[in-house]
Amino acid sequence: MDENPGLSDQYRMASPWPLFIALGIPIAELGILFDLPALAVGGLLLLCGSIAGMAKEAGYAKTPWRALAVCSVLLFGLGGLLLYADTAVAAEGVRFVARGYAVIAAGGLLLLGSLLGTAFVKESQPI
Amino acid sequence: MEINGQLALTVLMGVFLVAVAAWLTRVENWRSYTPLASGGGAYGQESGHAHEKPGGLIRWFTTVDHKDIGMLYGLYGVIAFLVGGAMVMIMRVELADPGMTLISNTFYNSLLTSHGITMLFLFGTPIIAAFSNYFIPLVIGADDMAFPRINAIAFWLLPPAALLIWAGFLIPTGDIIPAQTAWTMYTPLSAGVGNGNQANAGVDLMLLGLHLSGVSATMGSINFIATIFTERAEEVTWANLDIFSWTILTQSGLILFAFPLLGSAMVMLLADRNFGTVFFAGEGGAILWQHLFWFFGHPEVYILVLPPMGIVSYVLPRFSGRRLFGFKFVVYSTLAIGVLSFGVWAHHMFATGIDPRLRASFMAVSMAIAIPSAVKTFNWITTMWNGRIRLTTPMLFCIGFVSNFIIGGVTGVFLASIPIDLVLHDTYYVVGHFHYIVMGAIAFAGFAGLYYWYPIFTGRMYQRKLGKWHFWLWMVGTNITFFAMILLGYGGMPRRYATYLPQFITLHQIATLGALLLLVGGFIWLYNFIISWLEGPVIESGDPWNLKEDGLYTAEWEWFDRKLQTKITDGGEQQDVATDGGHESDESDS
Repeated sequence: MDENPGLSDQYRMASPWPLFIALGIPIAELGILFDLPALAVGGLLLLCGSIAGMAKEAGYAKTPWRALAVCSVLLFGLGGLLLYADTAVAAEGVRFVARGYAVIAAGGLLLLGSLLGTAFVKESQPI
Repeated sequence: MEINGQLALTVLMGVFLVAVAAWLTRVENWRSYTPLASGGGAYGQESGHAHEKPGGLIRWFTTVDHKDIGMLYGLYGVIAFLVGGAMVMIMRVELADPGMTLISNTFYNSLLTSHGITMLFLFGTPIIAAFSNYFIPLVIGADDMAFPRINAIAFWLLPPAALLIWAGFLIPTGDIIPAQTAWTMYTPLSAGVGNGNQANAGVDLMLLGLHLSGVSATMGSINFIATIFTERAEEVTWANLDIFSWTILTQSGLILFAFPLLGSAMVMLLADRNFGTVFFAGEGGAILWQHLFWFFGHPEVYILVLPPMGIVSYVLPRFSGRRLFGFKFVVYSTLAIGVLSFGVWAHHMFATGIDPRLRASFMAVSMAIAIPSAVKTFNWITTMWNGRIRLTTPMLFCIGFVSNFIIGGVTGVFLASIPIDLVLHDTYYVVGHFHYIVMGAIAFAGFAGLYYWYPIFTGRMYQRKLGKWHFWLWMVGTNITFFAMILLGYGGMPRRYATYLPQFITLHQIATLGALLLLVGGFIWLYNFIISWLEGPVIESGDPWNLKEDGLYTAEWEWFDRKLQTKITDGGEQQDVATDGGHESDESDS
């Protein structure tokens, strides 16, 4: 049975990444909002890793490594903002330090992954 | 204890990430494998197919095919509808009696909040996305959506959104209780200040879930705009674009302007609740929230109603034996409603004491919306006029839509008038009015679509008699329930209360009786759809509604026909073919 008459044969009908992007966003949000570093770091890794994987799969990037580095730069920016907010905030009992470091840690892990990937993973093998 | 909890969470997260990584490596391996080389691939891969689609559950978790995603949206919307329906049935039974009998008043408030959010964000928007995902690419001749992976992301954001919105019910602890803010989330109640219990984390989770559903809707809308603009087949021009695509295009435009605003407002509210900001705390803060919320909230009404109007404009002519009357004007009225919808938000705030000159201008624009709405209504009626009407179940639901929409619309015109609104504001009249629209019109059109395209979704036909039972129970039930509410409003019954004065008991009991009819109709529908999917008569023609007779055949049925044809010619089901040395096929198979 042809489910897709007329559809290009080259077209990929499945991708594992969207599910994990969609899981990464709420996990990271929960982690940052409720100040749970494990969830913040894990969620951001899942989100950024899946974005990098999807960029490669869709052909926007040859390897995921540079996309990981870009994500880590963005996370360093966000983490820096949170750390700055901690110095600027006047409200009692509200601290952003842990949140900021969690985001920066996630960025650091991504950068590490990017460097390791670039250094040790061979160019994608022809099929 | 605190440290242990963090440690456990870290370990759990780590294990989860490793599991995800391991699974991804496996999946990526089978996916980089070229299926043309040989059959029998690993991981449930279907051999002999030119394009890759894994088998079993993995297929549904990894699909980026617009039809599969449409089915997922449909399943999700139906589940949310059942949950939201169960919530309101508990409320209606509680309201059969003036006092607090069955459930506590606070639990009633929780159900009221979740019923609204569930029906609008977890049923309404997704069930529309189910139809648009499945059919827009088919009717405009596109291979798929413009961004298939974004499409999948938009869907998969919704299950976590639902879990977060229902978290207060699902997590049984004292710290997290369901939100009781109503779907409007008015501050200062929703900001968690004062002596109430709305500072608890259940409200934060609900806000996050709502935020996620907004992100999902925005992603979907961008995708539809790009698809309809860039992916149309050559023969599909702006002049002959179908009416359903026009309504989805307009709806996507509205989503693009409305939902990001809701998202920002909710981030501000979350910051007020958790980070000590004062966006909605100072003087005028409550009014600021109302303006921000309703600038999103009123377009949301049209986000929900325009595509169902498109479904009715699409389906109703097929069973009237003629084309849609005044097609151009139906399109123009859709666009007009889309534009006007952003200029009416303050009619929800007539009673807040805003400047009377502003109030009058919002009243004028609100009343102006009656004009394009009436254009549509008259066009549906004139389409049926002197037509060859066939009262199939989808057609009955379309006619029910028109009928209920007229009552819901006319009661709305009265509410748009400031002096009447000041009397009826916050009464059951408002509840009756908007339920005529959301239940009587939007849900009816949704079910018209579900019945009309049931053969395409399942390859089978539903039981016609049960479909008609469903319609009549719902038509009668809707009108009993919500007309009683309109009368309750005239009597001065305020909305959102779990208890009431004994003088309202009769009308409340009538409303509950109507709701029970809706429940029975709902069960009949569920039974019909499940049983027919399993054992209904298999559809063999690509034209189960005999549309060709009237020259009203459309692209999605052509696609369905092609699917059936190729199914026969390439012998997809192998047991039907007697091969040499193989088993003879049964007579029952052939």
